[in-house]
Amino acid sequence: MQKKYSGILVTALLLAMTAAGYAQATKEGSVMPKVGDTAPDFTLKYFDGNNLKDVKLSDYRGKSNVVVAFYIFAFTGG
Amino acid sequence: MKAFQQNLKTLEAADTQVLGVSMDSAFANKAFADQIGVTFPLLSDWGGKVTREYGIYKDEYQAPRRVNFLIGKDGKIMEEQVDKDAIDPKKIVDACARPKLKN
Repeated sequence: MQKKYSGILVTALLLAMTAAGYAQATKEGSVMPKVGDTAPDFTLKYFDGNNLKDVKLSDYRGKSNVVVAFYIFAFTGG
Repeated sequence: MKAFQQNLKTLEAADTQVLGVSMDSAFANKAFADQIGVTFPLLSDWGGKVTREYGIYKDEYQAPRRVNFLIGKDGKIMEEQVDKDAIDPKKIVDACARPKLKN
Protein backbone atom coordinates (compact mmCIF):
# COMPACT_ATOMS: atom_id res chain seq x y z
CA MET A 1 0.00 0.00 0.00
CA GLN A 2 2.73 2.41 1.00
CA LYS A 3 4.69 1.48 -2.11
CA LYS A 4 1.71 2.27 -4.32
CA TYR A 5 1.28 5.70 -2.78
CA SER A 6 4.96 6.56 -3.11
CA GLY A 7 4.75 5.65 -6.80
CA ILE A 8 1.85 8.07 -7.25
CA LEU A 9 3.72 10.72 -5.31
CA VAL A 10 6.82 10.36 -7.51
CA THR A 11 4.70 10.56 -10.66
CA ALA A 12 2.92 13.67 -9.38
CA LEU A 13 6.23 15.27 -8.46
CA LEU A 14 7.70 14.55 -11.90
CA LEU A 15 4.63 16.03 -13.60
CA ALA A 16 4.85 19.14 -11.43
CA MET A 17 8.56 19.56 -12.23
CA THR A 18 7.94 19.15 -15.95
CA ALA A 19 5.18 21.75 -15.86
CA ALA A 20 7.39 24.17 -13.92
CA GLY A 21 10.24 23.61 -16.34
CA TYR A 22 7.98 24.23 -19.31
CA ALA A 23 6.57 27.40 -17.77
CA GLN A 24 10.11 28.63 -17.12
CA ALA A 25 11.22 27.88 -20.67
CA THR A 26 8.19 29.63 -22.15
CA LYS A 27 8.74 32.65 -19.95
CA GLU A 28 12.42 32.91 -20.86
CA GLY A 29 11.63 32.39 -24.51
CA SER A 30 9.31 35.36 -24.72
CA VAL A 31 11.04 38.10 -22.74
CA MET A 32 14.07 40.03 -23.89
CA PRO A 33 16.77 40.17 -21.18
CA LYS A 34 17.21 43.59 -19.57
CA VAL A 35 20.30 45.62 -18.74
CA GLY A 36 21.86 44.01 -15.66
CA ASP A 37 20.61 40.52 -16.54
CA THR A 38 23.06 37.75 -17.35
CA ALA A 39 23.00 37.21 -21.11
CA PRO A 40 21.68 33.73 -21.99
CA ASP A 41 24.58 31.56 -23.13
CA PHE A 42 24.65 30.17 -26.66
CA THR A 43 26.81 28.17 -29.02
CA LEU A 44 26.40 29.09 -32.70
CA LYS A 45 28.08 28.15 -35.97
CA TYR A 46 30.41 30.43 -37.86
CA PHE A 47 31.95 29.70 -41.26
CA ASP A 48 35.42 31.23 -41.55
CA GLY A 49 35.84 30.39 -45.24
CA ASN A 50 37.38 26.97 -44.63
CA ASN A 51 35.74 25.41 -41.59
CA LEU A 52 32.55 25.57 -39.60
CA LYS A 53 33.41 26.66 -36.08
CA ASP A 54 31.44 26.81 -32.84
CA VAL A 55 31.38 30.16 -31.09
CA LYS A 56 30.30 30.01 -27.45
CA LEU A 57 29.34 33.22 -25.64
CA SER A 58 30.53 32.03 -22.21
CA ASP A 59 34.04 31.40 -23.63
CA TYR A 60 34.53 35.19 -23.47
CA ARG A 61 33.59 35.34 -19.77
CA GLY A 62 36.33 37.06 -17.78
CA LYS A 63 38.31 37.75 -20.98
CA SER A 64 36.52 40.34 -23.06
CA ASN A 65 33.30 42.25 -23.42
CA VAL A 66 31.07 41.07 -26.23
CA VAL A 67 28.74 42.91 -28.57
CA VAL A 68 26.02 40.55 -29.81
CA ALA A 69 24.32 42.25 -32.75
CA PHE A 70 21.21 40.51 -34.05
CA TYR A 71 20.26 41.57 -37.56
CA ILE A 72 17.23 40.66 -39.60
CA PHE A 73 18.64 39.14 -42.80
CA ALA A 74 21.95 38.92 -44.60
CA PHE A 75 22.23 41.02 -47.77
CA THR A 76 19.71 43.62 -46.61
CA GLY A 77 21.67 46.74 -45.81
CA GLY A 78 22.39 46.52 -42.06
CA MET B 1 27.05 45.43 -39.36
CA LYS B 2 29.02 47.98 -41.38
CA ALA B 3 28.66 50.48 -38.56
CA PHE B 4 30.30 48.05 -36.15
CA GLN B 5 33.06 47.38 -38.67
CA GLN B 6 33.73 51.14 -38.91
CA ASN B 7 34.10 51.27 -35.13
CA LEU B 8 35.95 47.98 -34.74
CA LYS B 9 39.26 49.54 -33.66
CA THR B 10 37.58 51.49 -30.86
CA LEU B 11 35.72 48.38 -29.73
CA GLU B 12 38.78 46.14 -29.87
CA ALA B 13 40.84 48.70 -27.97
CA ALA B 14 38.28 48.30 -25.18
CA ASP B 15 38.63 44.49 -25.15
CA THR B 16 35.34 44.04 -26.95
CA GLN B 17 34.60 41.19 -29.36
CA VAL B 18 31.85 41.86 -31.89
CA LEU B 19 29.58 38.99 -32.98
CA GLY B 20 26.76 39.40 -35.50
CA VAL B 21 23.88 36.93 -35.34
CA SER B 22 21.12 36.17 -37.83
CA MET B 23 18.99 33.20 -38.82
CA ASP B 24 20.73 32.91 -42.19
CA SER B 25 22.98 29.92 -42.84
CA ALA B 26 26.63 30.14 -41.78
CA PHE B 27 27.59 30.10 -45.47
CA ALA B 28 25.24 32.93 -46.46
CA ASN B 29 26.57 34.97 -43.56
CA LYS B 30 30.16 34.42 -44.68
CA ALA B 31 29.26 35.61 -48.19
CA PHE B 32 27.46 38.62 -46.67
CA ALA B 33 30.47 39.44 -44.48
CA ASP B 34 32.80 39.29 -47.48
CA GLN B 35 30.48 41.44 -49.58
CA ILE B 36 30.26 44.26 -47.04
CA GLY B 37 33.82 43.93 -45.71
CA VAL B 38 32.99 42.69 -42.21
CA THR B 39 35.92 40.93 -40.53
CA PHE B 40 34.24 39.83 -37.28
CA PRO B 41 32.21 36.58 -37.16
CA LEU B 42 28.60 36.57 -38.37
CA LEU B 43 27.01 33.62 -36.58
CA SER B 44 24.18 31.46 -37.82
CA ASP B 45 21.17 30.89 -35.59
CA TRP B 46 19.67 28.46 -38.11
CA GLY B 47 16.22 27.52 -36.82
CA GLY B 48 16.10 30.51 -34.49
CA LYS B 49 16.58 28.77 -31.13
CA VAL B 50 18.81 31.51 -29.69
CA THR B 51 16.72 34.29 -31.25
CA ARG B 52 13.68 32.90 -29.40
CA GLU B 53 15.61 32.42 -26.16
CA TYR B 54 16.52 36.10 -26.33
CA GLY B 55 12.86 36.97 -26.87
CA ILE B 56 13.45 38.87 -30.09
CA TYR B 57 11.96 36.60 -32.75
CA LYS B 58 9.49 38.58 -34.82
CA ASP B 59 6.71 36.65 -36.59
CA GLU B 60 6.28 39.37 -39.16
CA TYR B 61 9.87 38.94 -40.38
CA GLN B 62 10.17 35.25 -39.48
CA ALA B 63 13.55 36.47 -38.29
CA PRO B 64 15.11 38.38 -35.39
CA ARG B 65 14.42 42.01 -34.62
CA ARG B 66 17.44 44.26 -34.91
CA VAL B 67 18.94 44.31 -31.39
CA ASN B 68 22.44 45.05 -30.09
CA PHE B 69 23.59 43.86 -26.68
CA LEU B 70 26.80 44.95 -24.98
CA ILE B 71 27.79 42.20 -22.56
CA GLY B 72 30.46 42.77 -19.90
CA LYS B 73 33.23 40.40 -18.90
CA ASP B 74 31.00 39.20 -16.05
CA GLY B 75 28.41 38.03 -18.60
CA LYS B 76 25.91 40.74 -17.68
CA ILE B 77 24.19 43.01 -20.18
CA MET B 78 25.48 46.59 -19.95
CA GLU B 79 23.68 48.28 -22.85
CA GLU B 80 20.89 47.44 -25.27
CA GLN B 81 19.67 48.95 -28.51
CA VAL B 82 16.44 47.82 -30.17
CA ASP B 83 14.96 48.16 -33.68
CA LYS B 84 15.60 51.60 -35.24
CA ASP B 85 17.81 52.61 -32.32
CA ALA B 86 20.06 49.65 -33.12
CA ILE B 87 20.99 50.94 -36.60
CA ASP B 88 23.56 53.38 -35.18
CA PRO B 89 25.62 51.61 -32.48
CA LYS B 90 27.03 54.91 -31.11
CA LYS B 91 25.67 54.26 -27.60
CA ILE B 92 27.57 50.98 -27.42
CA VAL B 93 30.74 52.37 -28.99
CA ASP B 94 30.67 55.29 -26.52
CA ALA B 95 30.20 52.87 -23.61
CA CYS B 96 33.27 50.96 -24.81
CA ALA B 97 35.27 54.16 -25.04
CA ARG B 98 34.65 54.81 -21.34
CA PRO B 99 37.75 53.85 -19.35
CA LYS B 100 35.94 51.69 -16.78
CA LEU B 101 35.19 49.04 -19.36
CA LYS B 102 38.84 48.17 -19.82
CA ASN B 103 39.12 46.80 -16.30
